[in-house]
Amino acid sequence: MTPPKAPSRVDLLRGTLDLLILRTLLPGPSHGHAIAKHIQRTSEELLQVETGSLYPALYRLEAKGWIAASWELSDKGKRARYYRITQKGRKQLAAEQSKWTAFVRAMGLLLKPADEDAS
Amino acid sequence: MSSLFRKVQWWLQRRRREDDLQEELQFHLAAERDEREAGGLRADDAARAARRDLGNAALVREEARTLWSWMLVEQLAQDVRYGLRGMLKHRMFTALAALSLALGIGANTAIFSFMDAILLRSLPVSDPASLVVVKWRSRPYQNQGPSQFVMRGADGRTYRDASGITAGIFPFPAFELLREASAPVLSSLFAHKSAGSVNVIVRGEAELVRGEFVSGGFFPGLAVVPAAGRPIVADDDRAGAPPVAVLSLGYSQRRFGDPASAVGQPVLINNVPFTVVGVAPAEFFGVDPSAAPQVYLPMRSTNLVAEQLGLLALKLGDRAFTGENYYWAEIMGRLKPGVDLATAETALAAPFARWVATTATNDRERDNLPALRLDEGAAGLDSLRRQYSKPLYVLLTMVGLILAIACANTANLLLARSAARAREMAVRLSLGAGRWRVVRQLLTESVLLATLSGALGIIIAIVGMRVLTQLLANGQEGFTLHAELNWHVLLVTLALSVACGMLFGLAPALQATRPALMPRLRDRSVTESGTRPRLVRVSLTQVLVVAQIATSLVLLVAAGLFVRTLTNLQSISLGFNRDNVLLFEVNAPQAGYPQARVADFYADLRRRLGEVPGVRDVTLSHASLIRAGRSHPIMVDGRPTQGTRVLWTGPQFFTTMQIEIVRGREIVEGDRHGTLPVAVVSDLFARTNLGDGDPIGRHIAIGGSLSIGGAPLVLEVVGVAANARYGGLKGENPPVVYVSYAHLPSTQHRQMTYAMRTESDPLRYVSAVRQIVHAADGRVAITNVKTQAFDIDQTINQEIVFARLCSAFAILALTIACVGLYATMAYAVARRTGEIGLRLALGAGRGAVIWMMLRDVCVLAAVGLAIGGSAALASSRFIESLLFETKPNDPRAVAFAAVILLASALVAGYGPARRASCVDPLTALRHE
Repeated sequence: MTPPKAPSRVDLLRGTLDLLILRTLLPGPSHGHAIAKHIQRTSEELLQVETGSLYPALYRLEAKGWIAASWELSDKGKRARYYRITQKGRKQLAAEQSKWTAFVRAMGLLLKPADEDAS
Repeated sequence: MSSLFRKVQWWLQRRRREDDLQEELQFHLAAERDEREAGGLRADDAARAARRDLGNAALVREEARTLWSWMLVEQLAQDVRYGLRGMLKHRMFTALAALSLALGIGANTAIFSFMDAILLRSLPVSDPASLVVVKWRSRPYQNQGPSQFVMRGADGRTYRDASGITAGIFPFPAFELLREASAPVLSSLFAHKSAGSVNVIVRGEAELVRGEFVSGGFFPGLAVVPAAGRPIVADDDRAGAPPVAVLSLGYSQRRFGDPASAVGQPVLINNVPFTVVGVAPAEFFGVDPSAAPQVYLPMRSTNLVAEQLGLLALKLGDRAFTGENYYWAEIMGRLKPGVDLATAETALAAPFARWVATTATNDRERDNLPALRLDEGAAGLDSLRRQYSKPLYVLLTMVGLILAIACANTANLLLARSAARAREMAVRLSLGAGRWRVVRQLLTESVLLATLSGALGIIIAIVGMRVLTQLLANGQEGFTLHAELNWHVLLVTLALSVACGMLFGLAPALQATRPALMPRLRDRSVTESGTRPRLVRVSLTQVLVVAQIATSLVLLVAAGLFVRTLTNLQSISLGFNRDNVLLFEVNAPQAGYPQARVADFYADLRRRLGEVPGVRDVTLSHASLIRAGRSHPIMVDGRPTQGTRVLWTGPQFFTTMQIEIVRGREIVEGDRHGTLPVAVVSDLFARTNLGDGDPIGRHIAIGGSLSIGGAPLVLEVVGVAANARYGGLKGENPPVVYVSYAHLPSTQHRQMTYAMRTESDPLRYVSAVRQIVHAADGRVAITNVKTQAFDIDQTINQEIVFARLCSAFAILALTIACVGLYATMAYAVARRTGEIGLRLALGAGRGAVIWMMLRDVCVLAAVGLAIGGSAALASSRFIESLLFETKPNDPRAVAFAAVILLASALVAGYGPARRASCVDPLTALRHE
């Protein structure tokens, strides 16, 4: 089922997709396809967002009230479902972001010696 | 909350959501294709790549849907649909399981409704918890010889137990004293007294209704607001006040159309004119749930209407309100806020003790004075509770056991079925259904079954309650106990059925989904014949069957004991012929007949009745033999006799009742007022009191209230009659003196019971009797028309009800247990088909196969009998007080129950066993 991935790509960690979506929507509203593309491009093609998980994730976030959706016309003049981050979403993003930073720092601290040993 | 709202909202908009999702995915696809095209791919390649990239669109939609969470609801609907289909497909199973459970639930609901009506329900007045009932308690005392107790006259019930006597009746002066003394602890204290039946004439039509005398504080104290008019108040309750009455709502509607038009109307009560001033509210039934009065009268009107009531007040007149040794007024009160029962009791007991000491006139009286105590009054008086609480607890235990059997039975059926469905479950699990999902489905099915049973059960309960009310009332006029299905009962039933569903659904569900998939899928016969259960390996099914058999035995033994009690009662020799006798009561003085002419009226009525074709003999007595219970001090040669009872009788009493006259003659028409006063004595009386000589011509003196100017009434014995049962079937038969009523003072001519010996079914003469009484005097009401046989049955009503109900319950339990046994055996046969086929193929006889299967039944039954037998022996002493001349461990009842049970078990097991013996070896082996 899953298409073969380029070796350079990294699998998304569980739970990080929500964070990425919220962060992507921070500058302004966007539709599903643009969100996927943005994550892909910004991560220099390292992260591939699968459609199969993107839309359920969007609905989940909407259900939690972190993002809101409305039908608008895209820049190409087609009807598209635009998502924007809500106040609740912003709070959640801030919380998740600081947790993530702490996590990354911890991982970094733990993994650094091994990297140094290797180099 | 908001999440639920959202789910519901989404569920309602799911069609639009689906469209949204579809369009959004389309847009995604288009955007992807455009991008790839822009990247240089051909249009169709780009489209294909985009689709590939999107992956399984259906899966995306499915996952999104799960999030919207109406999935759960949909799955539930699916489960329900599937469950219903399954139930329809296995009609026999569904019918057996649902019916047995419904019977259990229905019986429980019906009995609980009665419990609720009798034991739990509070009086329908505001703040019933603050009501108290005033009572007294003393040590036991004897009624004979010089007075041993300050209560020298009484009108009301006293309850005697092993350690003493309790009663709720007081002299009126004590009530007045307590009313003053209770001011610091009670906000009100009021008295009441049943007036029994009073004759009410509205617009010329006579009717006997229940009346209640109430003090002025009664309605205000209970805080009862009338439906119309005003209540009886203190000003109505004084000597000389204009007589007023308050009616019950039902009675005012029946006689006047509606409450408002009853107010202000004149009525004749016991021939005294009263004015209706108010109507009690619909829900109010007085303070005694066993006697809902239809007319409330002021206490002080007692002497106006009591003359015809036979209350002791009759002779006392105004002294009823001043007599210090005449106990009759019942007292209730309401606690002040913040005062508890014990404080109030202490505050009232001291002044009562001081007062009652002054009423004692000798040392024996002073030695055993009644001590006041307070009881909780929230549920009103406890006469019903005393009468029915023990029988109801016994019945509740029985139906509880039936419910347990029904649950075990359903669990058994489900277990057997789940074994049959093991493959289905294995397939579902292997196809990827979650365990929880499968368990949820099985649970849904059980709850569905329980709901069906619960609904059926409510119907059974409604019917059962009707039957039970009829059984308990058994023709009593004015039976007031009407249980109805209320919210408590409904909740209990619902909880019971859901709990049952969970209980018997969970075990099979967990067993069915135990993840031993592979062997089940591969071959079903491997596991099943491989783990053929021997008796050593006790399975849940067997435990359940044994439990059912044991419980059934307990119920069968109980039924046996009650049936034996009933047959013992019914085989008591009466001494008179109960068949073809019609009884009815009339009360001429109460209808306003002049006292002096009552005797003539009764004699005339007797003569008229005797002229009806088909009527052989007519007589009358103050009560029917079985209901009589009158005693007066009776002396022979100046010595008092012990325990003698009297019966006022008319002419030809012994001919009519077919009681043999051993010596002398019976009382005849010639024994009328002005001739020599005569009596007939029972053989027992003659032997105990008249010595060896000829009793005829001896004299008997009756004292007490029959004394005329201090001299006792002297009667000459003209005959000796064979002993006949007097005053109920139980207990020692007393010595009896039958007194010619015509020779008694006219004050004794009150209610009379006529007895007619007829040639055919006595009930065919009822309309003729009504016509004759109406023709004799239209004001006189005729009541309690019944046959003598029915009159006797009524006195042992509780035993009859018990014997019938318990037999019904035992049969029910037995049937359910047999169904369980049958299902278990049928399942065992189905499971062992291969083995049986092999045995048959190897030369085993059919009989041997039948015996092999029946042996299992016998072992299960034997274990069940052993357990049930010991349980029955241990528990039957709790019902000892309800039995008559039957030992609680009556060996015949136990043996009878065991034989019935064993026979039923063998019958239930024989069907499957026979089917096992008919297995075709070839088919069975191929099956393997």
